[in-house]
Amino acid sequence: MKKRMKKKLKDTVISYLFCFPAYSAFAVFIFIPIIWAFVLSFTDYSLLTFGESNFVGFDNYIRLFKDPVFLKSLLNTLYYSVLYVPTTLIIGFIFALMLNDDFPGRNFFRLAMFIPVIISMVVASIVWMLILSAHPTSLANRFLSLFGMPPQGWLSNPKLAMISVAVVMVWKSFGYKMLLYLAAMQNIPQELYEAAEIDGATGWKKTIHITIPLLKPTTFFLLVTSVIDSFQIFTPIYIMTGGGPGYATTTIVNYLYQKGFQEFEMGYASAISYILFLILLVLTFIQKKGFGKEELY
Amino acid sequence: MGMRKKRITWLILKYILLSVVSFFTLLPMIWMISTSLEPDKGLESYSLIPKEITFSNYSEAWNYPKLYDEDVTLGTMFKNSVIVSSVITLLSLLFDSMAGYALARKNFPGRTLMFWLALSTLMVPFYVVVIPMYIITMKLGLLNTLTGLIVPFVSSGFGVFLFRQAFISIPLELEEAARIDGAGDFYIYWKIMLPLIKPTIATMAIFKILWSWNMFFWPLLVIQDYSKMPINLGLTMFRGQFVTRWGLLTAGMVIATIPIIVMFLVLQKWFIRGLTAGALKG
Repeated sequence: MKKRMKKKLKDTVISYLFCFPAYSAFAVFIFIPIIWAFVLSFTDYSLLTFGESNFVGFDNYIRLFKDPVFLKSLLNTLYYSVLYVPTTLIIGFIFALMLNDDFPGRNFFRLAMFIPVIISMVVASIVWMLILSAHPTSLANRFLSLFGMPPQGWLSNPKLAMISVAVVMVWKSFGYKMLLYLAAMQNIPQELYEAAEIDGATGWKKTIHITIPLLKPTTFFLLVTSVIDSFQIFTPIYIMTGGGPGYATTTIVNYLYQKGFQEFEMGYASAISYILFLILLVLTFIQKKGFGKEELY
Repeated sequence: MGMRKKRITWLILKYILLSVVSFFTLLPMIWMISTSLEPDKGLESYSLIPKEITFSNYSEAWNYPKLYDEDVTLGTMFKNSVIVSSVITLLSLLFDSMAGYALARKNFPGRTLMFWLALSTLMVPFYVVVIPMYIITMKLGLLNTLTGLIVPFVSSGFGVFLFRQAFISIPLELEEAARIDGAGDFYIYWKIMLPLIKPTIATMAIFKILWSWNMFFWPLLVIQDYSKMPINLGLTMFRGQFVTRWGLLTAGMVIATIPIIVMFLVLQKWFIRGLTAGALKG
């Protein structure tokens, strides 16, 4: 009996030792910060006053909803999301369909569409910034001139800038959606298609009545994760437009960065981060609801 | 016969469409590489197929900027990236697998809670914790150091979860046999269990290397000195300075991309696994 107790104690100590490194990093860099950010959002903490802070109640949140730039950044983020999410999903799905059956050269095409996924966001953004430069000799403008069209300020025209950002992000990410769709298509039993063929179904009919319904869980998963990702867009905008022209492409995280790390109003920025958290929590909750556990694990 | 003809037409159409789309998908990369190989001409005449090929942009970029400090070059930044991403990868593989092992194989009070704590970290978006994370890093005196880039990322809930799943699927007998032979816990974890989950280790390693090599927001906050910058952050600083020297800038970008592409081409299968594993994260 005593021996058993001793073993149990020893096991407990060893287990916590094994967990210690990982969990101390969680504690310092996730658990403390998530609470601290909440507390900060009710203060006027600022690095400019050397971290002096006073409790201000809901002032930051009230100010946020009167802050035209913040409201604009919410709308911009939503606009970006609407442009980006359906496009990347549909293009990803179409190319998964085309690259699912075996034919010579398939792997090359898959590779070509997958390369943008793995390169860094920074490199992708700078390359596209150069390609989309307003200069008449930029690649995009030379392409336009082939059709006799005048050069455009792809990133400097407030009407075009967000669309350009969305195009770049679709380019960067549709290969990933394609990959996940391809993986899911592998799991559709071939017999289903064979049975449909016996019934005389053609290619399109098979796609509409078998492939699309059976890929619903994947579509739902990609939809929610893409929306979540789109609400956190930062790097391409920081690099390509700096949030401009004016505030035409400033998104939630760009504004958070500006307030927190350029103007050092960290209390205010924390309130922004908690609004973002709330939005993402709702989205995650929708995902868990619609998903069920088996799909998630 | 009509059916066959239709099929062939369809196949040809498919090839044409796929070729056009692949061309446009690869175009930015092709343009980046050809611009980096062209002698510098200002903004005027960068073409998709370089008329003259030179590697001088590469040697110059590798030794640039030397603006503030004679010794700080893109080469230094490349080295910083190698250090940061290898240390993050090695430490997080070690720490995540240790915690995953305890959660999978040990019975101890608080185990369920610990498991849920690890899972709950997946729900916390990075941008929500970044402000306190910055203040904590500052108070620890780690701003503007490579350590400051590494420390917050030495473990991840996702890794702990993935390793736990991998260890759980290994038969208990293997471990018990070793225990009867008198092996200690750390020995069992290190010498018996870890070698059995090599696929998970490879998957996680690629996921982590890719993520840490490409990370941007955190270095942007933490690092001020050119000598401490990872290459991706360094490139954005160059962007301002070489607005008109595209050859140099694109050469720098190719240098920053080569390790990832080489790794991808060599380890394609593992790469795909690493990235689809990331999908579980949702």
